[in-house]
Amino acid sequence: MSYTLNYQGQAYKVEIEEDDKQISLEIDGKKVPVEFQKIEENLFSIIYEGKSITLGVVKKGHNLQIFLNGELYEIESVSERDKRKTSQIASGMQEIKSPMPSRVVKILTKQGDEVDVDEGVVVVEAMKMESELKSPIKGEVKDVFVNEGDAVEAGTVLLVVSSE
Amino acid sequence: MFNKILIANRGEIAVRIIRACKELGVSTVAVYSDADRRSLHVALADEAYHIGGSAPGESYLVIDKILDVAKKSGAEAIHPGFGFLSENEEFAKRCEKAKIVFIGPSAKAIRLMGDKITARKIAHEAKVPLVPGSEGAVSDVEASVVVDEIGYPVMIKASAGGGGKGMRLVREKGEFESALRMARSEAGSAFGDDSVFVEKFVEQPRHIEIQIIADSYGNVIHLFERECSIQRRHQKVIEEAPSSAISDRTRKKMGAVAVKIAKAVDYQGAGTVEFIMDQKQNFFFLEMNTRVQVEHPVTEMITGFDIVKWMIRIADGEKLPFKQSQIEMKGHAVECRVYAEDPETNFMPSPGTIDYLRVPSGPGIRDDSSIYSGCEITPHYDPMLSKLVVWADTREAAIEKMASALREYIVIGLKTNIGFLLRVMGEEEFKEGKIDTGYIERHPELLKPGDIDIEPVLIAAALAMNNADSVESGEQRPASNWKLYGRKLGLSGGQVL
Repeated sequence: MSYTLNYQGQAYKVEIEEDDKQISLEIDGKKVPVEFQKIEENLFSIIYEGKSITLGVVKKGHNLQIFLNGELYEIESVSERDKRKTSQIASGMQEIKSPMPSRVVKILTKQGDEVDVDEGVVVVEAMKMESELKSPIKGEVKDVFVNEGDAVEAGTVLLVVSSE
Repeated sequence: MFNKILIANRGEIAVRIIRACKELGVSTVAVYSDADRRSLHVALADEAYHIGGSAPGESYLVIDKILDVAKKSGAEAIHPGFGFLSENEEFAKRCEKAKIVFIGPSAKAIRLMGDKITARKIAHEAKVPLVPGSEGAVSDVEASVVVDEIGYPVMIKASAGGGGKGMRLVREKGEFESALRMARSEAGSAFGDDSVFVEKFVEQPRHIEIQIIADSYGNVIHLFERECSIQRRHQKVIEEAPSSAISDRTRKKMGAVAVKIAKAVDYQGAGTVEFIMDQKQNFFFLEMNTRVQVEHPVTEMITGFDIVKWMIRIADGEKLPFKQSQIEMKGHAVECRVYAEDPETNFMPSPGTIDYLRVPSGPGIRDDSSIYSGCEITPHYDPMLSKLVVWADTREAAIEKMASALREYIVIGLKTNIGFLLRVMGEEEFKEGKIDTGYIERHPELLKPGDIDIEPVLIAAALAMNNADSVESGEQRPASNWKLYGRKLGLSGGQVL
């Protein structure tokens, strides 16, 4: 089976064949000998290059959350069909979403403004805490969908930045 | 001993108190909001009563509802934990009136220490060192007189202030006049009040606090200090005991001062006197917290003293059987607060559902929490998931143990600060004890992961994709012992029962 795995904008091509006894695995064409045990539904033990590594793994559709050494890795598994579409969104149009149920405190930009990478665009408040959401790309603010004072759900698109 | 205690709190502190009650043979009554029906404190208590909506103002902060449950259930005492009603004078009074024991100090002690100006006055009268400065707002002329007296550097602060507005740090006399003018104008436009006061600026302050415990017969002892200098947004993240920065002499002096403050307000129960300390071990009174502290476990680890149980015993009229000279400390303890938050976005809270949890264990490791696989972290309450506490014979060994325990921790479903905590444990200044309240701001590199090895993650991802396919095709595996163990860990909040 072949998968394209996206992590923070980078795509990795992984080939994997698994039978009862053996796993043959390739990452970007490089062969990686690995021995694997699923210890429980969400706990994987892998042994490779002499290292024993235990990871927490949760899979939701095409999205994977993997936990190793204090860090949570969010990986998206993309089929060949979806691939072109996704990469276009990543570079061209970027949606700024509310990461949680919150209130929009301040909108720091308006339609037509130019913003830089990591420039703050919206301030939201949740759990008595204000946080500034930043633009992941340099570009123009195409649209702002919310007003100051609005209550928004997790995942609500607040505004769109385009680099084109 | 009481027959039944109501715990007017939620989360890990409610679980901590319920466990202490069980060990003392006391029945427990939990209260819960809409959001907390599935919370661990409800599952562990002997009785549980619904008290209203998820917002604290509709449940955990409503005095009438809590007293109603106390009466209905026949609870003889109420433990307030921390936060919510724990430092609410009115609540303590109402308990008294309803003839229910409030496990904590008197309403009067709460009032005296709750008001910052009164607390400062009491401390001043008890000859406790305060940050030198003007007593309240000053005119321009008065300000310069005070500053000449206390010496530079000084901080000018807005009386009505907060959030850094109207604040100016002045290092030299030549800068003072213009700084004062700017602070006044900033304060005026921000708060509509341009009055300011001046204070000696404490360079690289460390946060040191003394745990005290007092019975109702006038006996007050202290259980040494905790250092809580690692803070973000003025909130503690990592605490330890003892502090690596103070001498035995300073420790004794601080302890004696804390006891003096407690005696000045006829304190009863557990309390904490907070100080800031400069690099030369000069310390100044900050405030007193009249309740059990989040970071109390580090003190328990080095003294073997169960603070929560003693709060209950003292409220029940028991006398402290120890003298100060009998209290000893041993080894070193470190606590990390595991938060559902993202260090990369200024520690933004990250509520959600915990899809999978694995908690570290081993000798000297304690995880005080109320989370489990499948539990929901709602945006209604504090995003603290757990307090991971370790004990070892030296500070160095405790830090190593903490790092090892953090590497075993697995939380999936929401963002946590575990990686950040792990990086602090490996950072040189932290390891050398060169810390102060500006530590996190000084180390922005710790907010993001350094060089990561993505390969094992990709391997696991590929295996998960492939495996899910085989599961979908009907393959089933029997539940392993590890899985059962994991469930047990989850249900017991991380400690094997």
